[in-house]
This record gives sequence, structure tokens and C-alpha cells, in this order.
Amino acid sequence: MRHVSSGEEEAGAAPPHPDVSFSPARPGTVAEVENLAVTFRRGNRRIHAVRGVSLDIRPGEILGLVGESGSGKSVLGMSLLGLLPEDTLEHTSGRVAVAGKDMLHGSADLRRRVRKEHLGSVFQDPMTSLNPTMRVGRQVIEAAGSTEEAVRLLRAVGISDAERRMSSFPHELSGGLRQRVMIAMAVAGNPSLVIADEPTTALDVMVQSQVLTLLRSLVDEIGCSFLLITHDLGVAAQVADRIAVMYAGRLAESGPTDTVLRSAAHPYSLGLMRSRLSLTSPRTGTLSTLRGEVPSPVAPPPGCPFQPRCDLATDDCTQLLPDPVPVIPGHLSACVLPAEVVRARRPAPDAGEQDAGEQDAGGQDAPQADAADPESAVPAAADAPGAASAVWVRQIRRTFRVKAGRGRRKDLQALREIDLDVAAGESVAIVGESGSGKSTLLRVMAGLERADHGEVVLGGSTRPQMVFQDAGASLTPWMTVGALIDERLRGEGLSRAERQERVVAALAQVGLPAEVAQARSRQLSGGQRQRVALARATVIPPQVLLCDEPTSALDVSLAAGVLNLIGRLRRQLGMSVVFVTHDLSVARVVGDRIAVMYLGNIVELGPAERVVSQPAHPYTKALLSAVPEAGAAPMVLTGEPASPLAPPSGCAFHPRCPLADDACADSELRLRPVRLRTAHDRAVACLKPELI
Amino acid sequence: MAVAEPQLAAPLAARRRSARLLPANAARWANWSIAGLLGVVTLVALLAPVLAPHDPLQPVGQPQLAPGQGGFLLGTDGIGRDVLSRVLYGLQASWFAALLVIVGGVIIGGIIGVVAGTFGGIVDNVLMRITDGFLALPAPVLAIAIVAALGPGFVHTLLAVSIVWWPFYARIVRGEVRALAARPHVEAARLAGAGTFRVALRHLAPGAVPATVVTASLDVGNLVLTLAALSFLGLGQPAPTPELGADAARNLSYLLQQWWIPTMPGLAVLVLAMVGNLAGDAIRNLMEDR
Repeated sequence: MRHVSSGEEEAGAAPPHPDVSFSPARPGTVAEVENLAVTFRRGNRRIHAVRGVSLDIRPGEILGLVGESGSGKSVLGMSLLGLLPEDTLEHTSGRVAVAGKDMLHGSADLRRRVRKEHLGSVFQDPMTSLNPTMRVGRQVIEAAGSTEEAVRLLRAVGISDAERRMSSFPHELSGGLRQRVMIAMAVAGNPSLVIADEPTTALDVMVQSQVLTLLRSLVDEIGCSFLLITHDLGVAAQVADRIAVMYAGRLAESGPTDTVLRSAAHPYSLGLMRSRLSLTSPRTGTLSTLRGEVPSPVAPPPGCPFQPRCDLATDDCTQLLPDPVPVIPGHLSACVLPAEVVRARRPAPDAGEQDAGEQDAGGQDAPQADAADPESAVPAAADAPGAASAVWVRQIRRTFRVKAGRGRRKDLQALREIDLDVAAGESVAIVGESGSGKSTLLRVMAGLERADHGEVVLGGSTRPQMVFQDAGASLTPWMTVGALIDERLRGEGLSRAERQERVVAALAQVGLPAEVAQARSRQLSGGQRQRVALARATVIPPQVLLCDEPTSALDVSLAAGVLNLIGRLRRQLGMSVVFVTHDLSVARVVGDRIAVMYLGNIVELGPAERVVSQPAHPYTKALLSAVPEAGAAPMVLTGEPASPLAPPSGCAFHPRCPLADDACADSELRLRPVRLRTAHDRAVACLKPELI
Repeated sequence: MAVAEPQLAAPLAARRRSARLLPANAARWANWSIAGLLGVVTLVALLAPVLAPHDPLQPVGQPQLAPGQGGFLLGTDGIGRDVLSRVLYGLQASWFAALLVIVGGVIIGGIIGVVAGTFGGIVDNVLMRITDGFLALPAPVLAIAIVAALGPGFVHTLLAVSIVWWPFYARIVRGEVRALAARPHVEAARLAGAGTFRVALRHLAPGAVPATVVTASLDVGNLVLTLAALSFLGLGQPAPTPELGADAARNLSYLLQQWWIPTMPGLAVLVLAMVGNLAGDAIRNLMEDR
């Protein structure tokens, strides 16, 4: 959503702010990076974070710098800010210039002045960047110079009651508001470039969408440039003018957003795009993944860093370190192969997944049958669990007493009344923003949290097992992987040798070698840890596997692998899966059915594909449009999710709902999901679902 | 399958135990050597009967010989006993008494701390209020009161000091366990079928070990001082038995003319206390490095 405003004509022109001394070395750039190489020392190891990257940032553009963790994208951002640690400078070569000033070897004073006059920065977690002991007003004034300017900036970033917010402390603001405050401080003093390092990663999808829209409109209005560093190609695609893809400290590809998205020329960018889930990813067949992992930054391979994972690799690739060369003017790719060859190559079939190849990732076989049977598909109407129900949640309510400051306590209504029936072998994805109660529901199902009201009926005799978001934290740090998996086998009457065999088999089942049994969690990578957690959960196959955002902390290419694995385990072991996620595109792929939660209620429940293609609840619709996709104009809801401490009367969604009227706010209203007259497999908690 | 698996074995083997228990640089060497002093002192204490040139209880030479005179390295005391031998035997008594109290404190405090931390709620509250009660009383005064009640004697002194010492460990262990209990790995262990006892023993208690070890090693010095102070006040070993604090106290009247008689045992207390504190710091550094 681009604002056409008075600032538009300035946006393209070179120095938008004549009062700032602006002397680019080359006309048409605000910052230049030339052949930058940065090496860190950790003890006696050298970490080659950036290995020869050249990049220009033009005035008034958003450059999306995309890469997985360890690709060197944040280090590049730090070097533009002139904030590399002093002791790395001797191992740093190349040139980094902002407004013509040397940000690598310039004096500390010069770099500080450039930061003050020409640069702004926004980081992932505003809570750590804002001073928790100072009111935000004072912090913004510090950056802006005067109270009037501070209020103007806060208004400019979309904080409506700016004067009142000035006297708030950072912890009193929501994540989205805090990030807006950070952005206001970043653009104070009219910088020519703002470095935004994962500015939306910690935010809910709806708020992320708002913040991205804000970035775009700021660029168009005040004409500064943004370097948007992100791991999410979708985020960059939504707002960036140009995209640069980094891999293992090298630039893999760069070019105008449309060109890169439509005709990527580097196998890595292509692989990244294929393994990225979108709302249109195929649900049948395994998700495409990138095999292997990112090469170690300690000993990077001499050739193309992507060669070990590349299907097209030739012998040359192991020797030659390819530099980015133009495919067409303005579109660079660091691959020895011609772009046509790369694009022509379809991804090779996944050899290892062949055993399950004919089936799909989320498993559509069982659900179709269920969907056709309304009795089990719509639990809201069911009085007794279906014969083949794996877990049946009945009228669950859960309220927490939380401290509300000054010794007062308040009720936080995490679950307001939930009914959900998960059939044996079925997979249900629960989607919602933070605070929707989706994780609490999962914990109640796992028996980790008791319900105040209602009951959880388990179909089988085995206890549900759970896979946590942070797999590293769910593994006891001082115990070996083998001991952790073995723990579940205790009391099964197995001999030691038999148990050991089962441990190795469980590891093999998730694609890990037997040696991993001797390792402790800190010796494993993020993807390996999540596999270990899965091995532990499935060494004795449970009736129900509960997954709490198991892929949200993983890089795109690894996440797809873990999703494939969960799908395969589910089919092989005949488990039901309940999968909690904030990401609708993930939910659509893993779930046979999707349950959308808002403020402790399920607002929509139905077959995954149908919920995504034809949302019946206004909230689902808004959630869908907030999923970052290239070129899509999101239908941005105003405001933030209501607090579960004080849920609005009537339909909890009515204050943000475009369709709401007085009836929706009626305090007598108790909305429960009811089956649609037009679609019997769908239950929606809304007064006017048919209107959509 | 097309997902990460082929190159797993290699990095694992390389990462495993990579230079963990071996000192990698000078700072680590220094820390290890200082921590090693604990072993040296323990060895000296153990070998006191071998190292001591004379019987510590019998007069073996002229009284009040200055250090070096008559072949007595640290001189002789008021009745002609060898000061060096008395210091060595006294060091043995003080050092092992300190270790004993610490081991007792760690065991009692550890159990109470793990129980309180694991169960939380009312169990935690009751146990910690009792602990706080002990902590509220000044430790030496409480020890003196206990010894006075039980009657003087070395065993009573140890008992008294142990009674006032465990609450520190209970607090530390409880704090660590409580923090760990909020981590997902404990819930994961419960889901995996581990009972409360197993969760406490395998998934919680080991996490409190580093903090406890550091505190314990820093405590050795304090304990040596406390025990010496109690002995100094006459609440320790009975008369002829060598004990550093008691020897310093009893011979205080010699300080002006025959300074070495009270000073040598006092210096030994100083050395023990310093070794304890330095080694405690070194161990903390080593633990933090990990």
C-alpha cells in the first residue's frame, strides 16, 4: 500500500534533505559496500562471517537483504553502522562507505557522526534497544531534539495518541508499538539510510503487516533508504524494491524484487523460494527442501559455498568461488551456470522420502473421509466422541491469575470455552496470534496444564507426546540424547540392549546417525535438536503428537525438512497430530483441518484448503491477507488484538471487525462455532458468516 | 530423504569434547593451577604425620627457641614443643573440619533445596521459612550458643557449625532448581514419563552443581576462619590437641617476646583462607568458561 503523498517526488531525487551534508562518492548511492570481508576470532578459531560482498544502496529504496542464520547479513548491517567490534577490524578488508565516509577504518568520532547524521537503526527486539528505566518520550526526544519533533515523529509512525504514549515506559507498550517507537527514533533527524535488522520477526503476523506497510510509506514520504535485513523472503518481497540474497557470507543473487522472484538465477534463491511455504504451495507430495546444512563459517569450502547442497553442481563448482555477474543489467547471480540452465532444472525428487513419496506431506487420505462425515468433523455439534477419536476436548476453560501491577491481580482468560475433536490419524492445525490461547490449549491436551472446567478425553492408552518450539530448551542440557530417549523406554520391561536398539532405531527414523545418542543438546544444530525431540516423542509411538510451533525457530530450508518428517512419522506410526502455529501457510500444509483461534475461542474450524481459500470468519480473512506475499496488498486491521485480561463483550473480535454492528457487542452474546448451512464441514463463531 | 543428514557424523565427532577439560590458554592454566592448590593443601593435611618432624604433643627441645634455632624450622613453643609439627597437625584438623562441615552443609542443604525447588508451593514455603529462620540468626553466635548448650568439644563445634552452615546451600540449590523447573526440559521429561523423584535427581539437581561447587570452594576459606575463631574462643579442640585457632589463642601472651609462637598458626589460617578464596574464584572462572 504505497502512499502517494507530497514526498513522492522527492523519493527518487538524489539528496532529499539539503540540510544534511550529503556527498556520495558515486552519484545515486547512499551507501556502498565493496568487496567486504569480515572475520571474527573466537578463541583460536576464525569465523569467516562475510567473504567478499559488494552492494550499493540507492536513495529512497528499500533493499531487502535476505539470508538464513549465519549468512552474514547482520554483520553486513553492523559494518554499515560502523559498529563492528574493534578487534575484528584487523581481519576486515574491503570498503564500506556511508555518505562517502569510511565506516570501516574511519575514526570512532567520524563513524559516530555519520551514525548521528546519516543513519538510523531498528533491531529485532525493541525491548533490548529501548532503555527500560526511561519513559519513551524522553528517549524519542533525545533522538529528535525537541518535544514537538518527537510528537510529530510518533504520529508519523502511526501512534495515534502520541502525547499520552510519550509518558509510557517501554514495558507498558505492546511489541508493535515499541517497534514503532524504535522506527520513530531511527528516522529522527532525517537519516539517509535506516538499517532494519529483522524488525518484524518478533511480531505477530498482523502487526508485522502493519509495520511493513509503515516502512513502505515512510520511504515514500520522507525519502530515506532502508536496508531491510530478514530471513523471510516473503517479508522482503512484500516491501523491498530490490532484493539481495546472501549465503554463507557471500552474495548469491541480487536484483529488482520482481525479477528475482519471477526469474531467480541462482540455485540457492530458487531452492529458498521452493522450500518457502506460501498459501499456494502444493499440499500433495513432500515439501521441497534443501539437503544438508549451511557450511561451517570456520572452514568454508574453497569453491561455491552452495555446491554441497546444489543439485546442479559440477566439478568446477568445488574449485571456483563464483563472483556475482550480471544476468541482465541490474540482476546479478553468483553461479557459473547460465540462468536458463538453473531455471530449467526441476528440483530432483527427494530420494530419501521415496518410501512415502506417493503420499502427501500433511496426509490427505484420512481427513477426506472425516470431512465427508460431519459427525466427527464438526465437534461443536457432537455430543459423544466419534468412535475413532484420538483426543476429545470438551468445554475447556482456563483462567490464570496474573499480577496487574500495584499488588492487584487480574484474570487472564486464556481459554474461554473450547471444543475440539481430533480423529485418530487426523492432523489438526491450530492457528492464532500470540495471546490467542493456542499454546495453552496444547498444554491442557498434554496434561501439563489443568483446565478449570471441562475435560480432555484421550482415545488411546498412551499419553500424548509434545514437541516444543525451542527444541534445545526441551532437552536436558547435561544428559545425552541417548539417555533422554531411553527415559521413555523405562518401565517397558526391556533389557538394556533392547532399549539401546530402540534408541538407535528411533534416531534412524528421524534421519539421525546412531552417534548422536552420545551427544548432548548443545553439540547439535537447531534442526538436529528438533529431530532428537521428535525421536524422543516417537520412540514409543503416541496416539497423539502435539507440536508447539516446532519450526518457527528454524531456517526456511530446515523447517520444510522437519515438516516433511512430521508428516512421514504420522503416516508411518498412525498418529494424530495437533500442530500449533502462527503461520497459516504452515497450517495449511500440515493440517487436514485448521482451527483458527482468537482470544481463547475457536472462531473457525474446517478443512485446511477450504478455510484458506474461502475463509468464513472475518478474522480468518484478515489473518490470511496479512501473510506476507509478493505484491499482495494486505487488508490491515486497525489496532492490536484485544487483551485476554479484558476481552471485549459479545464477540471478542467485534472492535476490529469490519462487519461488526451493535448485535456483535451484546454482552449476552455467547458465540460458539456452529456449522455453516452452506458448508457442513465448517464451523464458524460469527453472527454473519454467510455475508463473506 | 532430502533433508539434513549426510554430514552429521563428522562435525559431531569434531565437536565432541573439543578442548573442554584441557586448558586451552594461559588464563585457563592459571585457573587450573590455583584450583589445584586445594589439592595441594589437602595432600599436605593428609601427610601431616609424615611431614611433621616431631611429635606435636611432647616437648622435644628447649622452650621458646626462635625459628631456625636448634634445628626447629619454626622454633619451639612455651614448653618446648615443635611449632612446625603443631602447625601441620593443626592444619590437618582445621582443613578436614572445614571440608566436613561443607560436605555436611552441601548434603543437608542440597536435599532441602532440591525438595523445595522441585515441589514449589507450600513445601517450598515451609522449607524456606525454616531456612530463613536459621539465616536470620548470626551464624557464629548461634554456633557459640549450640556449643555452650552441648558442652565444649570438637565434635560439638563441628555439629554447631554444620547446623548454621546448611541454610546457605539450601538457598542456593533451591534458587537454581526453581529456575530450572520453569524450563521446558522439565515438562518434556514429565511427558516422557519421568516421575518426580527422577525429574528431581536427573533433570534438576545436576543443574545446581556448578553454583554449589563454586560457593563451596569459596566457603572453605570462611569456614577455616570461623572454626579458628571458635577455637580461639575456647570452643574447639581441648587443650593439648594441636588446632590452629586454639594454638594462636592460647599462646597470645607470647606475642611480644616470642612472636612466632602465636603468629605461625595464625599465618597458617591466613594461608588456608586465601587458598580457599583464590581457588573458589578460579573454579568459578573455569565454570563460566564452559
